[in-house]
Amino acid sequence: MNQLWTFSQKGILLIVLSLSLNVSAFATNVLQINGSVKDATSGEPLIGCSVSTKGTTSGTITDLDGKFSIDVTDASTILVFSYIGYKTQEITVGNQTNMVINLEMDGQELAQVVVIGYGSSSTKDITGAAKSIKSDDFNKGIINSPEQLLQGKVAGVNVVGTSGEPGARQNITVRGPGGLRTGSTPLFVVDGFALDNSGTGGVVNPLTFLNPNDIESIDVLKDASATAIYGARGANGVILITTKKGKAGFSGVTYSGSLGISNLARKLDVFSADEYRTQVKAIGGTLEDLGANTDWQEVIMRTAKTQNHNLSFSGGNENTSFFGSVGVQNQEGIIQKSDLDQYVGRIKINQKSLNGRLNIEMNLNASQVKSNRPAIGTLLGTALSLNPTYPAYNANGGINVFQSTFVNPLTYFNLEKDITTTNRVMGNISSSLNLFKGLDYKLNIGVDHSTFVRDVQSLAALTPRQDGRLDTGIGENDNQLIENYLTYKFVNKDINLNLLAGHSYQKIFLHGRNSSINKFPISDLEPIYNPGLGQDLTIANNKPGGYAQINELQSFFSRANFQFKDKYLLTATVRADGSSKFGANNKYGIFPSFSAGWRLSEESFLKNSVFSDLKIRAGWGQTGNQEIPSKITQPLYTNTVSGTTSYPLAPTGAYPVGISFARLANPDIQWEVSTQIDLGVDFSLFNGALSGTVDYFNKVSNNILLEVIPADPVQPATTFWTNVKDMTITNKGLEFELNYQKRSDNGWSYALGANLTLIDNVVENSPYSVIPSGSASGSGLTSATINGYINGQPIGTFFLKDHIGFDEKGQSKFRDANNDGIITDADRIAAGTALPSTMYNFNGNLGYKGLSLSVNFNGVSGNKIYDNTANANFYKLRLSKGINVTPEAILYPAEAITNAAPISTRFLKDGSFFRLNNLSLAYDLNTSKLGIDKWISNFRVYVTGQNLMVWTKYDGYDPEVNTDSTINGISSYGIDYLSYPRAKSLLFGLNVSF
Amino acid sequence: MKKTNLYIFSLLFILLISSCTNLEEIILDETSAGNLTPRQAADGLIAPVYALLPTIFQHTTYFALQEITTDEAILPYRGGTDWGDNGIYIALHRQTFDPNNANVRNTWNPLLQSVSRTVTALQALPLNTDPVAKEYLAEAKGMRAYFSLLTLDLYGLVFVKDNPDAGSQILRGDAAVKFIEKELLDVEPLLGTTAGPGRLTKGAVWGLLARLYLNAPVYRDIYASSFNFTASDMDNVIKYCDKIISSGQYALASEYFSIFDDNNNTNKELIFAIDQRGDLNGHNRMAYFSLSGDMFPLAAFPNANGTDGPAITSDFYQTWAKAYAPEDPSVDPRFHKQNVGRYTNPADTCVDGATYEINRGIQRGQQYGLQRNVSGFTKCADGKFLVGPLVHLTRNKFNLLVNHTEKVDFTPQGSDYPSGYRVEKYQFSRISDSGRNKGQADIVILRLADIYLMRAEAKLRKSNDGAGALADVNFVRASRTARKAPPALTSMNLDLLFRERGFEFYWEMLRRTDMIRFGKYEGTWTEKTSTDKNKRIFPIPQTAIDGASNLKDYLKQNAGY
Repeated sequence: MNQLWTFSQKGILLIVLSLSLNVSAFATNVLQINGSVKDATSGEPLIGCSVSTKGTTSGTITDLDGKFSIDVTDASTILVFSYIGYKTQEITVGNQTNMVINLEMDGQELAQVVVIGYGSSSTKDITGAAKSIKSDDFNKGIINSPEQLLQGKVAGVNVVGTSGEPGARQNITVRGPGGLRTGSTPLFVVDGFALDNSGTGGVVNPLTFLNPNDIESIDVLKDASATAIYGARGANGVILITTKKGKAGFSGVTYSGSLGISNLARKLDVFSADEYRTQVKAIGGTLEDLGANTDWQEVIMRTAKTQNHNLSFSGGNENTSFFGSVGVQNQEGIIQKSDLDQYVGRIKINQKSLNGRLNIEMNLNASQVKSNRPAIGTLLGTALSLNPTYPAYNANGGINVFQSTFVNPLTYFNLEKDITTTNRVMGNISSSLNLFKGLDYKLNIGVDHSTFVRDVQSLAALTPRQDGRLDTGIGENDNQLIENYLTYKFVNKDINLNLLAGHSYQKIFLHGRNSSINKFPISDLEPIYNPGLGQDLTIANNKPGGYAQINELQSFFSRANFQFKDKYLLTATVRADGSSKFGANNKYGIFPSFSAGWRLSEESFLKNSVFSDLKIRAGWGQTGNQEIPSKITQPLYTNTVSGTTSYPLAPTGAYPVGISFARLANPDIQWEVSTQIDLGVDFSLFNGALSGTVDYFNKVSNNILLEVIPADPVQPATTFWTNVKDMTITNKGLEFELNYQKRSDNGWSYALGANLTLIDNVVENSPYSVIPSGSASGSGLTSATINGYINGQPIGTFFLKDHIGFDEKGQSKFRDANNDGIITDADRIAAGTALPSTMYNFNGNLGYKGLSLSVNFNGVSGNKIYDNTANANFYKLRLSKGINVTPEAILYPAEAITNAAPISTRFLKDGSFFRLNNLSLAYDLNTSKLGIDKWISNFRVYVTGQNLMVWTKYDGYDPEVNTDSTINGISSYGIDYLSYPRAKSLLFGLNVSF
Repeated sequence: MKKTNLYIFSLLFILLISSCTNLEEIILDETSAGNLTPRQAADGLIAPVYALLPTIFQHTTYFALQEITTDEAILPYRGGTDWGDNGIYIALHRQTFDPNNANVRNTWNPLLQSVSRTVTALQALPLNTDPVAKEYLAEAKGMRAYFSLLTLDLYGLVFVKDNPDAGSQILRGDAAVKFIEKELLDVEPLLGTTAGPGRLTKGAVWGLLARLYLNAPVYRDIYASSFNFTASDMDNVIKYCDKIISSGQYALASEYFSIFDDNNNTNKELIFAIDQRGDLNGHNRMAYFSLSGDMFPLAAFPNANGTDGPAITSDFYQTWAKAYAPEDPSVDPRFHKQNVGRYTNPADTCVDGATYEINRGIQRGQQYGLQRNVSGFTKCADGKFLVGPLVHLTRNKFNLLVNHTEKVDFTPQGSDYPSGYRVEKYQFSRISDSGRNKGQADIVILRLADIYLMRAEAKLRKSNDGAGALADVNFVRASRTARKAPPALTSMNLDLLFRERGFEFYWEMLRRTDMIRFGKYEGTWTEKTSTDKNKRIFPIPQTAIDGASNLKDYLKQNAGY
């Protein structure tokens, strides 16, 4: 503390000295002009703003209160006020001696403020790889979580929706997966509050608790020099979400609403009834023809409606500003009875006091998300394979019940239900107290609390015969944070220094339990409303379960930014992270980073060139991934009576409590380490009309955490957790971003943007011959694996037998890859990966007066998809048994109807796609021209099409898919099995501000 | 001003200190052993030693390895929809299995985990003050020898470990045999006599010793073209068989199938078995595995059915048919037991649900049983249950009769749902509501008939004592008097003894070991042509090889994999 004290005193001394030097320049005939420079919108003083007299070299800068004092020779002197990120103003002195200058932010520059964690910076000043996306640039359409807003928008960021279900989880990776396990998700930080990525009930994406309309900007920190400030959580990148806030001097109410209509984007091409009749006969199968022509996909699907309403209030004066909003989205899925309802309320208040020395920001977000799911897998599986000659409805219009084991999928809608309700309240207060000039103390306290209930019910029925069951799970997640830190800012003409040091403590408590009851009477009564009607409750079928864990994280962090002459930029950060999950021998990890930038455009040789900005950057840093399971460092032996731990020792009497080891201790377990270098160039030409960024990165993860099988197989537990030291996972690649914008005087404006990512992932030095993942689904396929991670190949590799056609008997032939004369598992080959090698995005905006048209395309290539749906369903043998298929099943005339379809490259398909993600046409009414601007300041109507077209060779529902088929916590990639199909939507919307 | 700042700093300092933590992990949802009495602790240590036996002896684990690899069982890809499992059962039967075979791995894992549990018990029991600890200690050590016998038989190696913190020593061949022998001999005097058949007793160890000595020539030189059965080994077999027979503690059952009934725990033929209880650890997999999916054996449970798993090969069936020709093999009561009258009397169509029992043994031809409908089973006018011919209702094939044929192979027709003769040796547990769970019958590891037949074999192998061997075989045959006993044999040699072991022990998870010992494992039968001697032992699972890949040359894969 003492050191900081003296340091800040020195800082003040320096500032005072620099100010007094300027004052003493002229002795006679001088006018002393005093004044202050403020931000025109927020009213905050601008520190270090340059004040100069036009045509001379003399000048000064504003002090820490935004005040300046300058001597001029006469009243006609023009003062020039310039500040990075703001429009330069020139003002003639006249008879003023005390001026208040309000500088307006430069619209274009505004777009370039980047939130960097514990602060923000201008794009010009940052030395790491980071990208900010503002709300105007977000993806449009039916959006239920923030990841969807930035899909395709940031080079190096891959967002893959696991399916088309409303509220489906989005797999998001920044610069490729750095680990084998699940937990490669980036760290999300909302208004300075670091979230825990744990699920909040059911299969719903936990980030649905935020209302996308409340988000002002999303900033993505990509390289280690940017993310190292988040230490052990930085390895997968950091995504910072900033919500909207009120502005001083503005007050109003905004309503925005939309109505969306969604339909199945692409149907699977299963045979129609007529085709089915022909094809079953053609291959010599037995045709059972009930005479109907049923399209089962159509039967279970619908035209879905989505309503969205948002009302927000904001306003403020010099000391207080507020933003409040209420949002509702009721989204129907395209499969009947699947819905997601989101209700979010948010309040943000900013308050100044102590003469502006104390700034307090308070955030409060409360949400309820409710998801209703029918039995999606069963419904799709049945709809795709059921005989299309079966009628769906009987003569009375009721659901037709078949006298066989095949079940009309419509019956499932009434029998199966999966309802999850999540309530989540998140609040934080961050306050900043100015202690001395330049020195601020900041305190951030927050709580994020969610509770959830999931009910899975099955009604008792005769067809299909089932007893009925209710499963109820409840849970609670609690995340508490307290952070104390100091920032110090020192500015003079040549030097701009920012220092940060702090401490953070975060505690996460997760808790859940479940119960169930079986055998309900056959009636319409839903078990959730009266579980007591269940008649069967046994330990074997209804043993309650639960979990509870506390994870603590304590960190010390600091960062220094140093700028010299606005040209040479240096950043260094270090974070020491301690986690209760780490072993006793490795409680703390240190994560350093260094980066430097050189703004060539500020050098004299590039002044007045086409470059309005040109910067080269280089950075190195180490970050960690602490997303490891809890308790794995601790030993466990259990004493329970269970079938696998106990045994009868006597003919009668109670069974003994068996004492058995469940887990071995490993006090050495620690984080995975990711070491990354980044080289980048940022440029901007023609006064910012054309701008872009190029980055090269190389991210090497080691210390890979795996659940492994011990060398000595005689172990109480069959596996244990360890860090595999030498094994590495490397992601390297290139990222390009290019933007061009032009506004012409005749009312036209247009903007074009594109980004491209080339990325390569490889696993090396794995001691294991193959680490399997991706368990196959479907009959005949259980116990098979689809993914396999081996040395020299990327994560997401498909490790399969190579299908090379059919033999003379019509049976599948596979390549004898190891030439040993027989086809075994040893003949599996690395047949490609689910990770795209290329990702790209194009977007454009065209505006004329009130009209604007925006379009957004994105695509990937170099990836493959394993079509497990086809593998389990669409082959000749199935058709011969009267099961409906797509034409894929009869693709090979040489295939016999007896041929089984084991897992092989036969069902591995090209996953490249190019998608017209959204297209939006909006019209802004000119309210002042209409003379209604007193009442209505903005009025916009728009129509948006979402997922309008996909160009792909993939013939499943959609190439953007990832059915979770994880084995032992090792992530699977690129598997499509009965995934909820994606919708094509049309939205009509309205925004009005009063 | 300065003072205020000092206050602020003090506050800041307090905040910093107050939020500091030592990051010790707090565990809320798990507990390790607490206040146990010495007796509870002793029970708690010995129970886990036995606890994984039902897991090891499952249809997809030890059964699959010991039976599907042989002529006794074949499991085709049923109808192209069931038991495909990515080809693992076809690979087992063809003896083309590899280190990634799930059955091979899923047998290895619980077996090695059980060895580890014996090590834990051997560490902790000597410190236990309760009087039972001494016998438990002997059982734990004896069980380690038994698990080692299984790893040696299946994978060709044993793991020797006394200190839980040190690595295991790996033994193969003669050293492995000597280790198991010494362990069994050490514990034999310390064991009790009455805890069986569910636990290890003196009698069980005698039987295991006999089994070890009989197979020791194989274990010593697994890839040999002929095994060297020494007189001293055979004398030891005879010696320990004699001990069991002369103990008077065990008796051959007059009804052959009672050995496999739900209540077989008190059957005096059982020497060592896995004690299954319906409310704890019992599975009904042995009974449900082979049955037709449209066979519903229990009137009380309309969801309990079979699964169209393995059948016997026609080769194995022919050994019965030829032995008894021109008579039907059902003259041997071990072949079949009819419980449902409808099979022989078409008028016998209504049965009492409470006493209804399906046939036992090998099931051939058209099957009859309870008639499943959407709401349960069809009843007769008098409220009894209707028994009629079964069709493949659950397969949605109303015209396909459940008519088991002799032919079963990997062709489309041969692998259709009804193909192959089925085996219902164990009673279908009367309380199994799903057909898979709540097994009650003890799974037999050692029974008295095996003792007689091992003694017979030792007599033949030692001195070609055909008369002595014949007497033992016929003694077993003659004891099955509940129905008509099988006819006595008139001569005896190794081939006939091998055939007799098939009749007596079919599907009792001895076949692979027997076939290797009798030199028949490289023979040819339905869908099996491999003559690769390396397949006599299974590969070490790839997962284990991978796990040990950081210790060079520690765990070497078996030859040929």
